[in-house]
Amino acid sequence: MEFFTVRNLTMKFGGLVAVNDFDITLKKGEIVGLIGPNGAGKTTVFNMIAGYYAPTSGTIHFQGKLLNGKKANEITRSGVARTFQNIRLFTELTVVENVMIAYHCRLRSTFLGAALRLPLYRREEKQMYEGAMEFLREVELEDLSREQAGSLPYGMQRRLEIARALATGPQLLLLDEPAAGMNPNETQDLLQLILRLREKYRLTVFLIEHDMKFVMQLCERIQVLDYGTTIASGTPEEIQQNERVIEAYLGEG
Amino acid sequence: MDEHHRRNQIFSIIAVACLFLFLLSMHLYADDYQIRILNNIALFIILAVSYNLINGVTGQFSLEPNAFVAIGAYTSALLTLTPAEKQMAFIIEPIIWPLSVIHVPFFLSLIAAGVVTAFFGFLMGFPVFRVRGDYLAIVTLGFGEVVRVVANNTQTITNGPLGLKGLANYTNLWWSWGIAAFTVFYIARLVRSSYGMAMKAVKYDEAAAESIGINAFKHKMLAFTTSAFFEGIGGGLLAHLITTISPTLFTFFLTFNLLIMIVAGGLGSITGSVIAAVVITWGGEALRVVEEPIRLGFIEIPGIPGMRMVLFSLILVLVMIFARQGLMGTREFTWNGLFRKIRAWTHRTAKES
Amino acid sequence: MDFSLIAQQLINAVSLGSLYGLIAIGYTMVYGILRLINFAHGDVMMMGCFFAFYGIMIFSMPWWLSFPIAIVLTAFLGILIDRGAYRPVRNAPRISALITAIGVSFFLENLGLVVFGGRPKGFPRPEIFGGIYTFGDIRFLGLSIWVPLIALVLLSGILFLVYRTRVGRAMRCISYDMETTRIMGVDVNRIIAITFAAGSAAAAAGGILWAMKYPQINPLMGIIPGLKAFVAAVLGGIGNVVGAMLGGLILGMAEILLVAIRPDLSGYRDAIAFGILILILLFRPTGLMGEKLPE
Repeated sequence: MEFFTVRNLTMKFGGLVAVNDFDITLKKGEIVGLIGPNGAGKTTVFNMIAGYYAPTSGTIHFQGKLLNGKKANEITRSGVARTFQNIRLFTELTVVENVMIAYHCRLRSTFLGAALRLPLYRREEKQMYEGAMEFLREVELEDLSREQAGSLPYGMQRRLEIARALATGPQLLLLDEPAAGMNPNETQDLLQLILRLREKYRLTVFLIEHDMKFVMQLCERIQVLDYGTTIASGTPEEIQQNERVIEAYLGEG
Repeated sequence: MDEHHRRNQIFSIIAVACLFLFLLSMHLYADDYQIRILNNIALFIILAVSYNLINGVTGQFSLEPNAFVAIGAYTSALLTLTPAEKQMAFIIEPIIWPLSVIHVPFFLSLIAAGVVTAFFGFLMGFPVFRVRGDYLAIVTLGFGEVVRVVANNTQTITNGPLGLKGLANYTNLWWSWGIAAFTVFYIARLVRSSYGMAMKAVKYDEAAAESIGINAFKHKMLAFTTSAFFEGIGGGLLAHLITTISPTLFTFFLTFNLLIMIVAGGLGSITGSVIAAVVITWGGEALRVVEEPIRLGFIEIPGIPGMRMVLFSLILVLVMIFARQGLMGTREFTWNGLFRKIRAWTHRTAKES
Repeated sequence: MDFSLIAQQLINAVSLGSLYGLIAIGYTMVYGILRLINFAHGDVMMMGCFFAFYGIMIFSMPWWLSFPIAIVLTAFLGILIDRGAYRPVRNAPRISALITAIGVSFFLENLGLVVFGGRPKGFPRPEIFGGIYTFGDIRFLGLSIWVPLIALVLLSGILFLVYRTRVGRAMRCISYDMETTRIMGVDVNRIIAITFAAGSAAAAAGGILWAMKYPQINPLMGIIPGLKAFVAAVLGGIGNVVGAMLGGLILGMAEILLVAIRPDLSGYRDAIAFGILILILLFRPTGLMGEKLPE
């Protein structure tokens, strides 16, 4: 059984073909990058995998189960978590609350039990808090746990969003431009963080990124999209020498 | 998580005891008019706080409380009237079985009011939460109108436009304030639980909430049904407070009053809703002076009936333009917060002296 | 049911439907531009009726003078409401604007109760509209013919404004993207004011016709027609002027049909609109002629 397979995924908006016959297979534990010029359809691919768009055609299988037609929250609960290109934290809640909420979908307490603070809920709340703090330590934000999430600087917000995604207990993590807006030092830290998290939580990582140095260092395989179509895939070395990729990027700039 | 847990518990108990003593003294010494205002205040606390759960906490701006209160009021009233009274009241067409023979105590009728209303809320939720924003507001407003039209036309259940008269005056200070206290306690706890956090997450960013596995629809439904449950109980209390109900009682006007309260208090703040319910109910009574003639020496200024509602609607618009957050924003009263304020204050005065 | 009865009901339905349509135009124009449900629209219509009423009763104007003046005054009222209440919350979250609109609606209703009094007033029906005509078995009020005609003329006027003038082009631009339109040098606030004026004028015209049809007015008269007209606007596809008129006609038909076929259910007449609204939102949220609903 394949870990994660996408076949012939196509998305049309009216007459516009945003993604055309997209295929990919991920093995467990891989870090794979999806790159391409702006508007190539990368985020559309993520939105289809994560259940935000219903694909026009094609299939998405995760651990043998079909994901198409499931709602975003169901896909997350089946083990696929994501971050957003334009960070989407709950800015008015505290840092630790942002991560605690991610445990909510696995809560066993009932609605009444939680409101009445029955013993099971009190135990679970403690677990939620401790688990959230654990992830905050992982991304080095534990000292800021009581700050408002919206007050954090950009780079920290990115890390918080990753911690929040991790707290849903994913096996596949989709990162949409995790290094965007970071300086070179932060980018290096992020690279180490992703590698560390993959080891510790046995993650498979599929990411979109524009920072080529970052992608080439981090990813084991890379797939390139241009105008919704896959134009190349392979190891970072192969991609760097691929004519069509160079053309696509030069054509853009 | 909280090092002051024990202290806060003690203060909460003291606060409840103070409320009890206050109500006891009012019960013993206050006149009928004052008692009626106090009952109204409790009633509006129940209605405003539960309305705020769906509109403020979960961020689903809806306009249906008049429908829920109506369903609750009718349910409860039909259950406490005796079979003989019902036979007397339904003069145009007799009431249908089994309502014609059921007769239950007040408390059970309130529970039934809550459950029946919650059930209606649950059914309503399916079509209603397929839309958002302005559309949600209009559809829920429409439900309010539909409930009123149905109440007017189902002669054999609601007695149509005649309404139900001569209900027992069961609602006293203990019932109204007891239930108000429970409502605030329950909803405040709910909001602080992870279910409440999930509801807030749905309000702030539905897509992000879904991305961490929160079923937005389910949480809207939970908030809506809970809100309906308490609105229904409030309706039962209302029916046995004014002892006469008819479809004209449950117009959008009622919803509008609640809307002012939750907006002025701060959408999303339970504390704000409680304060606003007290101040606006009380203030509404105090403002009666503008509707009565005022004597200044020899000059008599005639009162203007209806002026209060003009002022209230003006207040709503002004709050929206100048103080959109309302009184509390989304903040809540906590003992910790209060003590922090006191410490900061004493610290400052100590420094100055 | 014989032919004359059907014809009779058809006339009633078209007449009622065009009234809903006229009021719906204002909703749809304002929504198209601001994405705001102007809750106060039905009450603006009510104010128009009272302007016309007082023009005739207090200032003893003839109807052909009083009605146009009332329509112009109502247009100014629309501008005033936008300037005083909606413009300050233009950049606030949409819910704030909606709450403001509800506040304005209640303000007008209650101000009406204070100033005009709550008792219904008989609205004069000029002779030209009041005659009863007979064709064989069909009997109808002259007004029932006038209403669709006037509606058609006003609809053409508004379509001309929206699709054939510079102002109309600016309106359509704003509805796509207000910020860009502003950057292009269009005085957005002025265009919005004109939109409110046009929508309010149409509502006043609809209101005056409504008042002559029933023929009485009171400060709360705008609520139910206002809500129904909103449903008509959604039914036709909100933002679409022709759709609003079409939605109005369909709603009018549905109501008349219900009363004609099942007179015992006529008490539920006011609930039909909301039944339709729920069905549209469930099965075709874009309305009949509209584009996709905004999230």
